[in-house]
Amino acid sequence: MNIDYGRRKLDAVHNYSFIGKRVLVLLFLLMPIPAFLISMTIGTFPITTGEIAGVIVSRIGMDMGHPSVYETVIFQVRLPRVLLAMMVGSALSASGAAFQGIFRNPLVDPYILGLSSGAAFGAALSLGVVSWIPVQLSAFIFSLLAVAVAYSMARTEGRTPVVSLVLSGVIVSAVFSSLLAIVQIAVDERALQSIVYWMMGSMNTASWSKLESSFPLALLGCLGILSLRWRLNVLALGDEEARSVGMDPERYKGIFVISAALASSSAVAVAGIIGLLGLIVPHILRMIFGPDHRTLIPLSITFGATFMVLVDDLARAALGFEVPVGIITTLIGAPFFAYLLRRTRAGGWE
Amino acid sequence: MKISRYMARIALCLLLAIPAQGAPVELEDDLGRTVIIDQPCQKVVFLVENALNTYYSIADPETVLAIGDNIWKRELKEDFFRAVDPKFDDKVRIGFEAGLVSLETLAAEGPDLVVLWATSPEDENLKAITETLGIPVYAVFITSIEDMYKQVREMGTISGRADRAAEVEAIMKSYVAEVTSATEGIPDEDRPKVYWMWSDVLGTAGRESGFDDLIYQAGGINVMNFWENDASRMEHPTVPLETLISLNPDVIYMWYNEKLDPEDVISGTEFTGWKDINAVKNGRVYEIENPFLFDAFSPRMPMALMHLARNIQPELFADMSIDERLDGFFGEMYSVHYPGYAAL
Repeated sequence: MNIDYGRRKLDAVHNYSFIGKRVLVLLFLLMPIPAFLISMTIGTFPITTGEIAGVIVSRIGMDMGHPSVYETVIFQVRLPRVLLAMMVGSALSASGAAFQGIFRNPLVDPYILGLSSGAAFGAALSLGVVSWIPVQLSAFIFSLLAVAVAYSMARTEGRTPVVSLVLSGVIVSAVFSSLLAIVQIAVDERALQSIVYWMMGSMNTASWSKLESSFPLALLGCLGILSLRWRLNVLALGDEEARSVGMDPERYKGIFVISAALASSSAVAVAGIIGLLGLIVPHILRMIFGPDHRTLIPLSITFGATFMVLVDDLARAALGFEVPVGIITTLIGAPFFAYLLRRTRAGGWE
Repeated sequence: MKISRYMARIALCLLLAIPAQGAPVELEDDLGRTVIIDQPCQKVVFLVENALNTYYSIADPETVLAIGDNIWKRELKEDFFRAVDPKFDDKVRIGFEAGLVSLETLAAEGPDLVVLWATSPEDENLKAITETLGIPVYAVFITSIEDMYKQVREMGTISGRADRAAEVEAIMKSYVAEVTSATEGIPDEDRPKVYWMWSDVLGTAGRESGFDDLIYQAGGINVMNFWENDASRMEHPTVPLETLISLNPDVIYMWYNEKLDPEDVISGTEFTGWKDINAVKNGRVYEIENPFLFDAFSPRMPMALMHLARNIQPELFADMSIDERLDGFFGEMYSVHYPGYAAL
């Protein structure tokens, strides 16, 4: 009798936690929808939620007689910015989760292979030296170049050991940081100011054209990670273990590095260097949902988008003037991350 | 007897003509620091270019000992500098490394005074030169039109040519008056609202900046005066695009921008969100095309003012020829023609 009672209670608890977790996963997956709607109502232009709804209704055929500037603010200013912030958040978080899986290291972020240093150098080159090259293009090319160099450097005899990848990433980062320093020394104060501002990360010049140029590559990168996400679970066990189950770890490491680099380079090229996001979002999710990449990757995409767009809301509207979003990401993310770290053992890696 | 009287007169004239050497003079630089120099300085090093421009309009170019190797857009300026200082190319260049001045090069030259740009008395170069080398430093930090006039007077004191400095100040003020005499009576409500666009696009000139003064003198009003946010008082605030749209400036004035033209703002794909701003709708987006000729933080500030006024108040200044005014101004200030910088 007592044993039956105990078993029934255990089943109930198990079912409850299973159902609770599924509900929570669903909640995190759907989170971008309310975040998007909230963000569309936030801004420094005086326009009420009712007027926003009216403008949207007008857009689908029923003219409500609003000034054309309302439509411009909603569809040309706010919407591209909100979507860009969501794209950047998704791309950086998914890349961060993928890199953490490949490297089996919780300290890894999307910039581990020198991507941010390469992007910063590319942007600095455009802002201070070769002004005819667009900043976005230059940052994108050099960020990918940095990853390509780090990956090639680490590859010996057809293998890319994780330790070699980390070390080559450190070296490439150092080289591009030095090149960046040379540019910073050589340029005038105005260009230096622009370089520093770019490096802080900001979305204040978001536009449809920026979104159009970066979205396809970010999407491609995220889809690559998303579609192969279960293989990250195997890669996270180590190369030998992956081979023992018939998987070619080199091939998948390459695919993940290319996908993550594409996604994060596209994000960095349009928004500058946004620190900590690609590190803390996957960590936060791992602390809550565990290390299974089948869940972790889609949640990184949705929660990354949610986190970034809400932080950008603060950056553009909290003080009434623009604050580089990279600063707020760090200021909000770091204490929240520290809190979660203290509440969970080893940040969810055990 | 007659000869000796003549000799005495000549000796007296020579004595008066030779500036008093070693007379210590106190100056107050733009940071409010007291700088003691032996007037007139014979060996001055300029690590900031705008003060060098002012100095050349007043002083003997021979007394410019060395120049900072950090002149922005030097290709636009070097012909002018060669015209006003025939030994410009031979001047020692003081290098910088990671923003820090080469103290050894500076020490080797042994200047009487170093003039540099600094925003605070804690500026690393300022402290290094005064504390390590013991050389007096005059810090330049221009935030208003009045600061420019002060600079002219101080350069007169440094060079011992206060009379010429007074002349230069009067020349500048006369050119400024050409504009302000036509604009000062315009009531605020009739002035076009002007958005000053620095190269970071949403970075602008705040209410307490030099460009706020310049825009007002040119017959406009800085749109930041309508922004009810403390950030509007900053020297260089960044405005959210939505705020800019609600402020709705009538004129957008771009500082020299290599990556952007007024046409990009009016019809570029990255500026679709700007289309309802009056300035964009009416095609009133202008750019300072030459950052040397129209540098507002230099003695050519009146030329920058004329450039602004011609576009902000086109009806008032329809007959103004900028090239003609530049020629007259360069002639009075530097005794050279514009364009070409041939000697008068």
